[in-house]
Amino acid sequence: MNNYQRIVFPLFVVVMAVLPTLLNPRWQAVAITFLIFSVVALSQDIVLGKAGMFNMGQALFFGMGAYITAILNYKFGWPILATIPLAILLPALFGIILAGPIVHLRGDYLLVVTIGFNIVFVQVLQNNLGGVTGGPNGIFGLDSLSLFGAKLTSQLAVYYFAFAVLLLTLWVMRNLEKSKAGRALHYLREDQLAAESIGINTRIYKVFAFGLGAGISGLAVTVYATQYAAVSPEAFEFIVSVLFFSIVLVGGSSIPGVMLGVFVMFVVPEIFREFATWRYFVFGFAMILAMILRPRGIWPATFGKIPKYLIKGGSHGA
Amino acid sequence: MARNELILKNVTKRFGGLTAVDDLSFKVEDGQIYGIIGPNGAGKTTVFNCITGIYKSEEGSVNWRGEEIRGMTPYQIVDRGIVRTFQTIRLFGQMSVAENIMSGRHIKSAQKWWHGIVPTPGSLRDEKENWLKVQEQLEFFNLGEFAATPTNSLPYGIQRRVEMARAMAVEPTLLILDEPAAGLNDKETLGLVETIYKIREKGVTVLLIEHDMDMVMEITDYLTVINFGKKIAEGTPAEVQANPAVIEAYLGSEDEDDE
Repeated sequence: MNNYQRIVFPLFVVVMAVLPTLLNPRWQAVAITFLIFSVVALSQDIVLGKAGMFNMGQALFFGMGAYITAILNYKFGWPILATIPLAILLPALFGIILAGPIVHLRGDYLLVVTIGFNIVFVQVLQNNLGGVTGGPNGIFGLDSLSLFGAKLTSQLAVYYFAFAVLLLTLWVMRNLEKSKAGRALHYLREDQLAAESIGINTRIYKVFAFGLGAGISGLAVTVYATQYAAVSPEAFEFIVSVLFFSIVLVGGSSIPGVMLGVFVMFVVPEIFREFATWRYFVFGFAMILAMILRPRGIWPATFGKIPKYLIKGGSHGA
Repeated sequence: MARNELILKNVTKRFGGLTAVDDLSFKVEDGQIYGIIGPNGAGKTTVFNCITGIYKSEEGSVNWRGEEIRGMTPYQIVDRGIVRTFQTIRLFGQMSVAENIMSGRHIKSAQKWWHGIVPTPGSLRDEKENWLKVQEQLEFFNLGEFAATPTNSLPYGIQRRVEMARAMAVEPTLLILDEPAAGLNDKETLGLVETIYKIREKGVTVLLIEHDMDMVMEITDYLTVINFGKKIAEGTPAEVQANPAVIEAYLGSEDEDDE
């Protein structure tokens, strides 16, 4: 664990910081998407990995953040960065409202309801609700980033914006791990009845997980909307939710696991683009293998991260 | 301050056509070790579930320290100082012993939900204080060496101790133990008896279900015997042992043998 914190993580930060200077524009774009998807996958991990709720509708919150940024920027002329607070808060609020009545559902029932929400959301976008979503074509021509009046149009700027968002998310994830709220999510995933019987209001924490997950993914897509300068409904289809669901399953509920999951499920298919028709075959096969060989994910969640003074000499396990 | 008294009056719980608990009344007094015994399927665990809010009894009243707790949710009841363990151990299996015990500190911790996103100096201090409480429980239950071990890799007897440690971390006033000696060997059972006495010395009232008769007779101050959800006897262990209705429930009546 210490190795991870002392060596792997700083190394990762350094590599990611110099990476874009080594890449051509096409791979820079892939790298940006990797960062954004990592953040969204981490937000999915809070709901699916930590709290153990089968949420198959993450693209809804993801898409909502993107549309909020797009509408505020395109229709009302807000600068991109100024839309961030609302792009976080509104999906979080919506997540809480949607989750409230459904979190008592178990496993696959919750999954079906969230798929339903996702489909309704895409339908609403396509039917141009209130004349602001732009219908099936979406919204084109968003501004590029600007900070204190300086336009940051280059792809590099978007990359570092995405990187900053990822670091912020990692910081939040770390805080969550070391707090009462984060542990409560683990407890209710492990055994809900035991969690309630020890004094945890499981309903509140399930809604909290949904709200936080929605908020973080809302933040991520501000970058997404900036990168493409456009949003359209098909980017938030149910199949996108499936992608994030499988990233967390294959990767495992840990930060390195989720990032590996994004790499395997998103970057690897990009590399094998030439084998167009074959890549989903390889992809599916990799998933089956991962599920058989590593049922808890490539890099599963680790526990026992307890203060050092509690670990006596000769302690078993971690 | 109200006395730590638990009073059940005419509690009835039905599952469809089956009356699992039938018009049951008893009273647990402050500082007692109170036992509930009965043959398999007598409804003992259902009584516990009615007290701890997992089930809501259809009729009757469950009164704790002068407050009606029937119909409250489990976490509200825990907040009032009643904590339970389970007959089939229910630990957070993948998590370490220390983290399991930390779950008991959940309700005592002053952290708010948003501290999970942005910590403050206050929440970090609170975190540290609660880990120190966990350390106390680790020492009390002699679990220090297993602090970082995932509970599902521990032997059964130690898992039982972890479950009690988790419950004690809540600092309850009433501890409810559902068959704490089940699956323990003789030596472990002796250790358990000692632990229960030590818990009582801390001022905690103990209510327990147990099948190990030797242990029940030794440890409890007062007993209620139930069969088919109904109370058939109550009294001190000596009184109960001499009660013909109890002997009949456990061994079958002579009439049945004749037929």
